[in-house]
Amino acid sequence: MNPQATLSGAFLQSAGSTLPDALKTMRQQRATALADMPVPTRKTENWKYSSRHLQLDDSLAGTLVGGSSNTAFHNGDAYRVVIRNGQLDLDASELPDVSGVEVLAFRNLEDADAAQLAERLDNTLDSKAVQFARLNSARFEDGLLIRLAKNAVLDKPLFVFCENGGDKAGSAYPRIYVEAGQHSQLTLVEEYTSVGEAQALVNTVTEFSLADGANITSVRLTIEGQQTQHIGATAARLQANARFESHCVGFGGPLRRHDLRVCLEGKGAECKLNGVAVTQGQQHLDNHTVIEHVAPHCESEESYRNIAADKSHAVFNGRIHIHPDAQKSNANMSNKNLLLSTGAEIDTKPELEIYADDVKCAHGATVGQLDEESLFYLVSRGIDRKEAGTLLSMAFINELIEQIPVEPVRDAAHARLVRFIEQSFEGA
Amino acid sequence: MANTDKQVSELIKREYEHGFVTEIEADTFEPGLNEDIIRRLSEIKGEPEFMLEWRLKAYRRWLEMDEPEWAHVHYPKIDYQALSYYSAPKKKEDMPQSLDEVDPELLRTYEKLGIPLHERAKLAGVAVDAVFDSVSVATTFKDKLAEAGVIFCPISEAVQKHPELIKKYLGSVVPQGDNYYAALNSAVFSDGSFVYIPKGVRCPLELSTYFRINAANTGQFERTLIVADAGSYVSYLEGCTAPMRDENQLHAAVVELVVLDDAQIKYSTVQNWYPGDENGKGGIYNFVTKRGACIGKNSKISWTQVETGSAITWKYPSCVLRGENSVGEFYSVALTHNYQQADTGTKMIHLGKNTKSTIISKGISAGRSSNAYRGLVKFGPGAEGARNFTQCDSLLIGDKCAAHTFPYIESQNKSAILEHEATTSKVSDEQMFLCRQRGIDPEQAVSMIVNGFCKEVFKELPMEFAVEAGKLLEVSLEGSVG
Repeated sequence: MNPQATLSGAFLQSAGSTLPDALKTMRQQRATALADMPVPTRKTENWKYSSRHLQLDDSLAGTLVGGSSNTAFHNGDAYRVVIRNGQLDLDASELPDVSGVEVLAFRNLEDADAAQLAERLDNTLDSKAVQFARLNSARFEDGLLIRLAKNAVLDKPLFVFCENGGDKAGSAYPRIYVEAGQHSQLTLVEEYTSVGEAQALVNTVTEFSLADGANITSVRLTIEGQQTQHIGATAARLQANARFESHCVGFGGPLRRHDLRVCLEGKGAECKLNGVAVTQGQQHLDNHTVIEHVAPHCESEESYRNIAADKSHAVFNGRIHIHPDAQKSNANMSNKNLLLSTGAEIDTKPELEIYADDVKCAHGATVGQLDEESLFYLVSRGIDRKEAGTLLSMAFINELIEQIPVEPVRDAAHARLVRFIEQSFEGA
Repeated sequence: MANTDKQVSELIKREYEHGFVTEIEADTFEPGLNEDIIRRLSEIKGEPEFMLEWRLKAYRRWLEMDEPEWAHVHYPKIDYQALSYYSAPKKKEDMPQSLDEVDPELLRTYEKLGIPLHERAKLAGVAVDAVFDSVSVATTFKDKLAEAGVIFCPISEAVQKHPELIKKYLGSVVPQGDNYYAALNSAVFSDGSFVYIPKGVRCPLELSTYFRINAANTGQFERTLIVADAGSYVSYLEGCTAPMRDENQLHAAVVELVVLDDAQIKYSTVQNWYPGDENGKGGIYNFVTKRGACIGKNSKISWTQVETGSAITWKYPSCVLRGENSVGEFYSVALTHNYQQADTGTKMIHLGKNTKSTIISKGISAGRSSNAYRGLVKFGPGAEGARNFTQCDSLLIGDKCAAHTFPYIESQNKSAILEHEATTSKVSDEQMFLCRQRGIDPEQAVSMIVNGFCKEVFKELPMEFAVEAGKLLEVSLEGSVG
């Protein structure tokens, strides 16, 4: 009965920017449409467990500026794009020079390209379901556009470093749009980090549009600091026989939220979604995924694992939606959770929504603790409890980490996870 | 066969519409709901003051609440002011005077289900004072129960005869403001059953048997309260496999179970109300709140349900496992056909140490129906060593139906262990081929396969009902193949 609070108008004031006119107009339209955007509460189904961690003070409405920007990005043998507070830093980037592959900043687009992009942005997203993606569309100040021509193959992974933070509280709206032509291939690694000490809200949107037979691997790491709230969305739309693979590794924070939506629109499309999330202290992390089987003969495979320690809170919500004509769909979802302490909380909801009969769908979810016997075995062989616990916890998620196809990322993620989990067993 | 089913539905519907145009009898309230209506209702029932207060409190809460919209069901908005909230039992002159006047198709359905002859008349709504020897049977039962000290009576009688028990337990599991429909029920509940099993008593008979013979016209807002005192046991069956003639479109019932130390309640439901015709017109809206509280140590609640009727089912029999080592079980078969919609499941709230729960849910959708499992398993911080196993399987028959699974899992205790699995499948061509090869006709084959799919749940039903439930699925599925 209570009228729901709507998003403060301060968030809808976009700063002046150097974007082409078409994109500015689009932003303005989105901002107007958002005027009544309700702020999620406990009653908002897809924010049920996370709304209380959400802080939307007006102080966060302004755009983040400053922050130390002398981070050196090392990524081994790969291409690189640096995005600071939503703005592409082309000087720090190392762009590919491969035929058929274009890597562009929104602000440098020609008018015709900008107009085309303005048409396509948000198309992969059901914007009503992902409220904060709408906010990004109203606020982005620059963005990364990757265009792959037919049969284009990017030989090395492209790393996107998104560094956000400032001297003063504020928000950033990094935006990435990938358009993959027929049978093109790309491996994209997104890494989100924080700089500076000021409170920050990072609201990201990454969209992938895959034409027939395109193949994209996306790796997403969120390793931001305690001063940063992160609300991100990734969406992919697949045409016939396209393949999308996603690996998300998330470390907890005051609020970490990621919405991943994959729409299998063409016959024979397939996707694989892996996710690992770890939380400790008072942290909170929330992963929402939706897989839409629109066309027949599509396959999806999803596996997410969470480890929650101390007083932290990990949330998973996965939905598989099989549309009426999507016969012969094959969908599998698994969600496993490990609770390391009794103060911690895991909430999970693996959903199936099925409107076709000739399909194979299954989901499984488990919640449990480390096996006492395994722990005892290791300890009895002289391994201390902390190490034993870390070993067993890593074993729980390693199956997914090992599947990350980019070696330096895999190693870095592994090392970081070990350090993180060790802390959870401190004093154990 | 397919034709028969259709005719039955049509005929049932005709009866049903007839029920609506009957001239308003003297003892029926004018449509609408306000405090005066509740006062009048309470007065007619001769309730003590505390009961009226209780109802009014519920009504005031209800006014402040919003109708829930989260369920995966669609229906036109209900105008609560257009309903009448009290109707005296139907006059005998309006009812069919003998079985000869009852639609023969309906009788054939009874025959298929194997309903005993003397019960058919009662079910078909025939106006007879005593159906065969049921009165004497009932009296025998009554003596037996009284001997054991079991209280089993209409809740309106319990309010007057056992106010201390009612005061103590009514609303203790489902408070007045629990949810929209529970609040409505608390304000206007017409009648229902009250069961109290004293300490250490094992109820000498399954209250199901008794109930079937004594099924009273309890009306659309039924309220059931069952209290099992320490060390007692009772098995209770609600509903009936036979299609029930019913005049009310909205049913908002509340069932509360209270289980103390070492006691056990086994609550079985077979629900087969009018589901609407094959175009989705008409049918009962069944919005029910069922919850049991395992308050005592080592207590146990077992819910078993077979849901085949109603146009819309909205029902989540739940267990609050407060006592140490208490156990909650939920076994469900929900079948939807034509345009039926079901959103059903369970909640298992683990609060005490070493509490255990098992959920087995089988959803079968056919025709253009929609069948959703919605469940919650929650482990509170104190649920040391708690354990849950959940399995929800869906079976789809036909390519226009839908099956959904929405399981909520919340764990706040590291030593709690939970496993959840769900699958969706259809009656496979291989299975059908195998059966047909052996000379079994397609309809029978489907029914065999479906029965096999539901076996885990049927074996939890009291024996005679397990047999009937199997037949019921068969009848309900008629016309879904070929």
